[in-house]
Amino acid sequence: MKYAFLFLIFISFCSLSQYNPQNGTIASKPKMVAFKNARIIISPEKTIENGTLLIENDRIVDAGILVIIPERAIEIDCKGKTIVPAFIELYSNVGLPKPIVTNSSNRPQLESSKQGAYYWNETMHPETDASQVYQIDQKANEALVKMGFGFAVTHIQDGISRGTGAFVSLGFESSNKQLILPKAAQFYSFEKGDSKQTYPSSQMGSIALLRQFFYDYEWYAQTKPSETNLSLEHLKETIALPFVFKTSDKWEILRARKIADEFNYSFNFLGSGNEYMAVRALKNTKNAIILPINFPEPYEVKDPYIARQIPLSDLKHWELAPSNPAILVHNNVPICFTSLGQKDEVSFWKNIRKAIERGLTAGQALNSLTIEPARILNLQKELGTLENGKKASFTIYSANPFEEEAKRLESWLLGTQHLVENNTKQDVAGKYNLLIDGKQFPLEITEEDGKFSGKIQTFQDREDGKKGRIIRDTLTPKVYVNLIGDDITLQFNLDDNNWNGSVTLHAKVNSRLGVFEGDGMLPSGKWVKWSAVRNQKSDQKKKEIETPKRDTSYSEKLWFPNMAYGFQELPKAETTVFRNATVWTNEPSGILEDATVIVSDGKITFVGKGNFAIPVGAKIIDAAGKHLTSGIIDEHSHIAISKGVNEGGQAITAEVSIADVVHPDDINIYRQLSGGVTAAQLLHGSANPIGGQSALIKLKWGHSPEEMLLTNAPKFIKCALGENVKQANWGDYNSVRFPQTRMGVEQVFYDGFSRAMAYQKEWDTYSNSKKEAVLKPRKDLELEVLSEILRSERFITCHSYVQSEINMLMHLADSMHFRINTFTHILEGYKLADKMLKHGAGGSTFSDWWAYKFEVNDAIPYNAAMMHDLGVVVAINSDDAEMGRRLNQEAAKSVKYGGMSEENAWKMITLNPAKLLHLDDRMGSLKVGKDADLVLWTTNPLDILAKVEVTMVDGKILYDANRDAEMRILNQKERGRIVTKMLESNEKGEESKAFIKRRTKHFHCDTLGEEGTEEQNSH
Amino acid sequence: MKIVYTLLLILFVLPSIGQQSKSCLILNGYLHIGNGEVIESALVGVRDGKIALVRNALAYTFVKSEWDTIIDVKGQHIYPGFIAPNSTLGLTEIDAIRATRDFNEVGQYNPHIRSQIAFNVESKVISTVRTNGVLMSQATPRGGDISGTSSILALDGWNWEDATILQNDGIHVNWPASMDGGGWWAEPSLKKRNENYEQQKQSLYQFFDLAKTYSKIRKSEQNDQRLDAMVDCFNSTKRVYFHADELQQLQDIVDFSIHFKLPFSVIVGGYDSHLLADKLKDSNIPVMLVRTHSLPENEEDAIDLPYRLPFLLQKAGVLFCLQNAGDMETMNARNLPFQAGTAMAYGLTEEEAIRSISLSVCEIVGIEKNYGSIEEGKSATLFVSNGNALDMRTNQVSFAMIRGNFMSTDNFQKDLYEKYSKKYKKD
Repeated sequence: MKYAFLFLIFISFCSLSQYNPQNGTIASKPKMVAFKNARIIISPEKTIENGTLLIENDRIVDAGILVIIPERAIEIDCKGKTIVPAFIELYSNVGLPKPIVTNSSNRPQLESSKQGAYYWNETMHPETDASQVYQIDQKANEALVKMGFGFAVTHIQDGISRGTGAFVSLGFESSNKQLILPKAAQFYSFEKGDSKQTYPSSQMGSIALLRQFFYDYEWYAQTKPSETNLSLEHLKETIALPFVFKTSDKWEILRARKIADEFNYSFNFLGSGNEYMAVRALKNTKNAIILPINFPEPYEVKDPYIARQIPLSDLKHWELAPSNPAILVHNNVPICFTSLGQKDEVSFWKNIRKAIERGLTAGQALNSLTIEPARILNLQKELGTLENGKKASFTIYSANPFEEEAKRLESWLLGTQHLVENNTKQDVAGKYNLLIDGKQFPLEITEEDGKFSGKIQTFQDREDGKKGRIIRDTLTPKVYVNLIGDDITLQFNLDDNNWNGSVTLHAKVNSRLGVFEGDGMLPSGKWVKWSAVRNQKSDQKKKEIETPKRDTSYSEKLWFPNMAYGFQELPKAETTVFRNATVWTNEPSGILEDATVIVSDGKITFVGKGNFAIPVGAKIIDAAGKHLTSGIIDEHSHIAISKGVNEGGQAITAEVSIADVVHPDDINIYRQLSGGVTAAQLLHGSANPIGGQSALIKLKWGHSPEEMLLTNAPKFIKCALGENVKQANWGDYNSVRFPQTRMGVEQVFYDGFSRAMAYQKEWDTYSNSKKEAVLKPRKDLELEVLSEILRSERFITCHSYVQSEINMLMHLADSMHFRINTFTHILEGYKLADKMLKHGAGGSTFSDWWAYKFEVNDAIPYNAAMMHDLGVVVAINSDDAEMGRRLNQEAAKSVKYGGMSEENAWKMITLNPAKLLHLDDRMGSLKVGKDADLVLWTTNPLDILAKVEVTMVDGKILYDANRDAEMRILNQKERGRIVTKMLESNEKGEESKAFIKRRTKHFHCDTLGEEGTEEQNSH
Repeated sequence: MKIVYTLLLILFVLPSIGQQSKSCLILNGYLHIGNGEVIESALVGVRDGKIALVRNALAYTFVKSEWDTIIDVKGQHIYPGFIAPNSTLGLTEIDAIRATRDFNEVGQYNPHIRSQIAFNVESKVISTVRTNGVLMSQATPRGGDISGTSSILALDGWNWEDATILQNDGIHVNWPASMDGGGWWAEPSLKKRNENYEQQKQSLYQFFDLAKTYSKIRKSEQNDQRLDAMVDCFNSTKRVYFHADELQQLQDIVDFSIHFKLPFSVIVGGYDSHLLADKLKDSNIPVMLVRTHSLPENEEDAIDLPYRLPFLLQKAGVLFCLQNAGDMETMNARNLPFQAGTAMAYGLTEEEAIRSISLSVCEIVGIEKNYGSIEEGKSATLFVSNGNALDMRTNQVSFAMIRGNFMSTDNFQKDLYEKYSKKYKKD
C-alpha cells in the first residue's frame, strides 16, 4: 500500500499510446505488480486464500498460491483483502451525448427527416456508431467503478434499430486506451424514441417495422440491387455482432424472441425485472437476460385510504421482484446484471445481496456480472475471470462483497490503479483526557459519515452581583477535528477561566494506543506541547453482518397472473359431467331439458338425454335448474392488447398484427370470463383503411400469449371506413394524411390491392424463371398480407357505418374477386342487407349504440334483427371491455327490438360469431367433438337475472363463482399480509414511494398511440 | 325567479300539449306503484293530468260513464315514469360534433350557468329514450369546480318552458380529486395523493362562505349573479350535488355539508359510498350511484361491485337512486331500466329496483310530491309495458303519458325500421 500515492500521481501522466507525443520525459510506471496474501476470487468456481495475483502492464500473468514474484515486480500486501474480477456492464450510455430532438410541429410527419441515403424510417439507424462520439466521462465512469465495474458496452439509447455500442474500459486515461472495441454489440428495442415520424405508433408497428427491416437487409445483402442504402450497408458490417434487445416487460421478451427465431438471430435481452412472472414461458432459454436490480421500493402504506388503492399486482411484485434473478437461474435462464437504475454502489450491493438472500448463490451473482456478459460479447478469452492472460481489471475489497458488507478499497483497470479509497483513516472516536499546558479537559470525538467532530468541557466562573458569590458555568465548545493520514488537527474557541480565544493543536495519532501527542498554539500565541489519552473507545458498535439466509420459497407466492384473481396453480382440463341442465345446444336439437353434457380432454364427448356412462374419476356438476350453453364469442374486442390497438402511422398497415402484442395480464380477461365469454377476436383499431391482422384468442386467464392464441387459426384483418379513417374527429392538425374523404378511401383500397397484384405477379415471374435471370423481388410484409386477401386466404372484418361506403367496398371486392367476410359495427346494414347477402358478407353489430358521431345518425337497434331476417349471418359484439362481460344482455335486446326468437338471439353471440370467424367447426355450439368451452348460468342466459356460475375453456374451469367468492377474501388476505410487511419496512425508515395507481383506460377502435384513453365516445 | 316558477305550476295543469283526454281509466294492469308496493290487478284513473284514482280492481267497482277513455291492460305492467338524473340528455345531440355539445361552459365557479334554457325538446335522442319508459330527466351541466345549475324536465313539450318540472333544482359541485396523476394500466405513472387537495378544498370552503354570507344580506343589496344562484342552497330546497367517488372525498363532503348546514346535499357517483354508508345515513345524504353498467375501479374489486352497489346501500338504509353519467350517456339513457334490472339481479328486489329509477330519484331531486309514484293526487306520468320493463326482452312500452298527455312511443328509429322493412317485403 505504500505505493498508493505514487500511483495516483502516475495516473494523470501514464499512457501506453506511444504515438501520442508527450511533453517531457515519459512518466515512470511499474510494469509488473504482485498482489500478495490476498483472497483471490479467480472465477465463480475458484477462490484461493492467501494467494498472489501477478500482473504485467494490462494483463494478468499469474494467479495462485505458489506464484514466484519476479524481482522487477512491485509487491503490494493484500492481507485480509479480497480481489474480485471487474464487472462488465452491458447496458450503458456512459460517455455518450444525449440525442438532440428537433421537430416540434403539431402536424404529422409522414416521412423521415434524416438527410441522406438512409433507411426510409428514421427510427431505424443501424449506422449509429457510439464509438464515433465516445468521450470519457469521468464522473459517470467513477459511479460504475465504485460499484465494481471495469468495462461497459455503451450505446446511444434511442430508436428501434439503435446501431452499435462500443466496448470500453472504465479508466480515466485517454479515450484511445479505454476504447477497446469500437463495435462490440448491436442494439434494438421496440421504442421509436426521438423519431417524430408517424410510423410506427404502436408496439405491433415496431415489430412489423423491425421484421420488414431485417427482410430488407437480407434482400439487400443477397441481391445487391442497383440502389444504395447506407443504413443497410452499415448493417452488413455489424450484423454478426451480438444482439442486445431492450424490453420493458416480460412479454416483450417473447415478442422479440419470435423475431429472432424468424431470422435465425440470437438476441440477448435487457429485462425489466418482472420476468419471473413469465417463467413458464421463459424457462430453458439459451439467450441471456440482462436484469436490472432496481427492485421496487415499498409504497407508503400508512394511510389506509391510499393503501387500499394500490393494486395487489404491485404489492405482489414488490414482494417477489428480488426473487427474479434466482427464479430465472433456477429455471435455466442465463442472466446478467446491469447497474441500470442504481443510485450508487450502496444501493447496488444492497440489491445484489437481496438477490442472494432470495436464493441466488454468490457464484451465480458473480457469474452474471463477469463470465456471462463476457460470453455474450465473445470476449471470454479476455475478460471475466482473473486467469492468466486476461485483462488486469479487478477490484480490491476489504472482504468478500458477495458474502458480507465490504468496502471497496481500490480498483485496477487495465493494469492501472484507480480510485483508491483512503483506507488509512484511523478510528479516533472516543473519550479523551486532553492535557494542554498543564490544564486538563474532557474531550469527546465522534464520527458521522466518516467525518470527525468533537467537544470539550470547561468552566467559567463569574460573580453573582447581589450576593457576591462565585457561580461556575459549564461550557462545551465545539472542536473542529481534521484527520489526514495519521496527522490530526484540533481547533476550538474558548472563553473560560484559562484562555480567551482560539486554540489550535496538531499531533501524530497512535490510534492503537489511543494517544495523540504534539504541539499547539494558545490564544496568547504561546507555543505549547499537548497530548490526549483515550480512556474510553467509542461505543458505536460496528454493524453486525448477518450471514444471508437463502430463501427460495418465494416462488411459491407467484400467482398466474401475478395479480388479483390469479391462480396459485393453473387448472387442468378435467373430465367433467354436467347433469340435469337445460342445455342450449345451438344445434338442430335446440334447447334440451334435463340433459347431460360430458367433456374430456378439453373436448365435448357427449350431449343429450340418452344413455351415457360416467367416465371414471369424472367431476360431476349437478346443474339442475340451471342453463348450460356454449361459450360467448366476442367478434370485436380490444382487451388484452399491449401498447397500441392502432397502427395509425400510415393509411395501410396490413403488416402489423395484434397477435404479436397479446397481453395476458389484463384483468378484463377475468371479468369477461365472469360474463361467460370464452373466445374473442382482438381487432386492430379503425384509424386507417387497411389496419392490422387480428388475434383470435381463447380467454385463458393465467396463461401465456402463445397459449391464448388459437392454433391453426383462420387469418383475419381489420379494414375500416368512414370518419375514423378520414380522421374527421382528430382535430385540425390531422388533415395531412391521405385519405380525408370517403372518396379518397376507395382509392386507398384500389391502390393497395393493385400494388399487391403487381407484387404477386413479380414473385410469380421470379418463381417461374431461372433464378439467375431475374432479380429476386423484395419481400414486402404489407403486400404479402394484401395478396393473401386477394387469394381469399385471409378474411376481412371491416369497420363500417353508412351504406354508401359499405356498398363501395363490396363493389371493389367483387371487382377483384374476393369477399368481404364481415362488416363490423355495420349500423346501416339494415339499409343494404340484401346487397350484403348477395355479396356473402356477415354483420357484427352493436345492439343499440348510436348518437356518438355523425355517421351513426341512422343507426337503429332493429338492425341486427333486420339483417338476420333477411338471412345475413349476424353477431352482436362488444368493442368495449365493460359491455363485453354482459353480451348476453346485449343479445337479448334483439328480442325487444325486432322480435327475434330467444334461440336466435343467443346464437348471435355464440354460433354466429363462430361462423363469421370460420371457427364453427370447433366452437359455437354444444356438439360432440367441439371444444369444451361451456358456460353454466343460474337461469336463462338472456334473462336480466342471469349470472354465470362456471366458465370452462378447453375443458379447464377458468371462472367459478365459488372460487371467485373465495378469491375476494384471499385477495384481501394477501393484501393484508404484504401491507403488513411494507409497514414494517416503512417503520424501519427504508426508502418508500408514493403509490402508483393504474388508471383504467381502455382501448377502443379509434384509440391512437400506445396509450388507452378515457374518452370513449366514438367507436 | 319565484314568479316564473309559480307561472309554470299553473301552466302544467292547463290544457293541453299532446293528446290529453280529460279522463282516462287504466284497467287490470299489474301496478308497480314506485314506492315499493304493488297492486296485482289495479285501476288507475287519470283526470286533468293527475292521478285521480288508484284502487285494487278486484275490490272496486268503477262507474264507466265517469271516464272518457277506458283502457284494459290486463297482463301488462304499469310503471311510474322513470327519470334519468344527472344527464346531458337534451344538452347534446352527437357526442363527436362540438357544435352539438351544450353542456360544458368555460370557468371554474359557474353556479349561475343554467341547463334549463339549453334543453332541446326536439332532440332525436330523447324520442328514443322515451320509448323505453324514461319520461323525465335532470338536465345537468358538466365541467369546472361548480358546473352550473340543473333542472328537471319532462321528455315532452313544445319548448323548455313547458317541459320544465322543476327549474334550478340544484347546483353541481365537482369535488376536488383526492388522488391525481395516473398514466394507464400498461404503463402506470405515479398517481398519488393530490398535493393541492387541501388547498382546492379550502377554495370551495371560501366560496361557500362567501355565498352563505351573501345569502343572509337583504335582497336589495344582492347584486352578484353567481352568488344569486347559491342563495337557495342555504335557505331553500335547492340541492347541492357533490360529484365524487373516493372515500376521502366522501368523508370530506359530509363534513362540508354539516359545516355549512346545507339542507339538501346529494352525492353523485359514490363508488366508495358503501364504505361510508352509516355516516351517509346518519347525516341524511342520499347518493345518485355510479352507473351499474361500469367496470370496477380497481383490479381486485369484486368483479360485480358496480352491479351490487345499489344492494349494498339498500341494505345499509341509505337513500339512493341510479344514474347513468359516462360514456355515451345520452343515447344510453334508454338503458336505464336495464341498469336497474342488473341491480335487481344482484340483490335488489324488483320493486326496490323500480323505486331506484322512479320515486327515489324524485325524493332526491325534490319532486316526490308530484312525481315518482302512481298515487292519487300525483301527476299522471306513467307508462304501460307488455312485460317486465327492467328486462331487455320484455320492455315493450304499449303507451306512455306525461302529465296526462299520451306520448308517442314511436321514434325515427322505428320509422326507419318500418321504412326498410317495407323495402324488403316488396322485393
